[in-house]
Amino acid sequence: MTERDLEIRNHIYRRFVELGRAPSLAELEDELGDEVEPALRRLHDAHALVLEPDRTEIRMANPFSAVPTPHRVEAGGRSWYGNCAWDALGIPAALHVDGHVSSTCPDCGDPIEIDIRDGCPVPDEDVFHVAVPAAHWWDDIVFT
Amino acid sequence: MNLFRSEEHVGRWLEQQGYEAGATITTGKLGELAQAWWHDRLAPDWRPHTREQNQAILDRLGLTDSFWELP
Repeated sequence: MTERDLEIRNHIYRRFVELGRAPSLAELEDELGDEVEPALRRLHDAHALVLEPDRTEIRMANPFSAVPTPHRVEAGGRSWYGNCAWDALGIPAALHVDGHVSSTCPDCGDPIEIDIRDGCPVPDEDVFHVAVPAAHWWDDIVFT
Repeated sequence: MNLFRSEEHVGRWLEQQGYEAGATITTGKLGELAQAWWHDRLAPDWRPHTREQNQAILDRLGLTDSFWELP
């Protein structure tokens, strides 16, 4: 991963924040040129983002998800999806703003609504479960 | 990595899915973890965290058992 790769990565994150979705490969090539596709592959291999299985379009720019998930985040008048509940709380943290997370209990289907105020979840009455041990998070990051 | 209404809901869901139990923490602890893990993700000078940096975050939050040990 080169310094230019990191510049491309930072551009992708800026666009993800602005758009509320992942920029497409075509959009990135329009903005940055032909160097994008090989840079995306290097960034994927370095776990700096996650590509779809065909290794062209972006699936995750953690904590942001390019596809809808059960973990919706609103902050600063915009909205995104987190890849998981941890990532959902990570979006206001990355943006350094207050926000709101809407999720669902996988057991009962009840909605779970959490405000993030000064970095703290309100209310603090639900629980968070991690199924996969940390040693194996990147074995299958989409499942994790 | 999901939010649940309570530990009882976690246990019931694990049984239904046939998954082994992982680790459960409070939403408050998750908030601390999210802040520590993601706060720098949009910084212009961001660099990938090293394994040691990430493990230090987990350790500092008391997530020290083998479940939280990074490869």
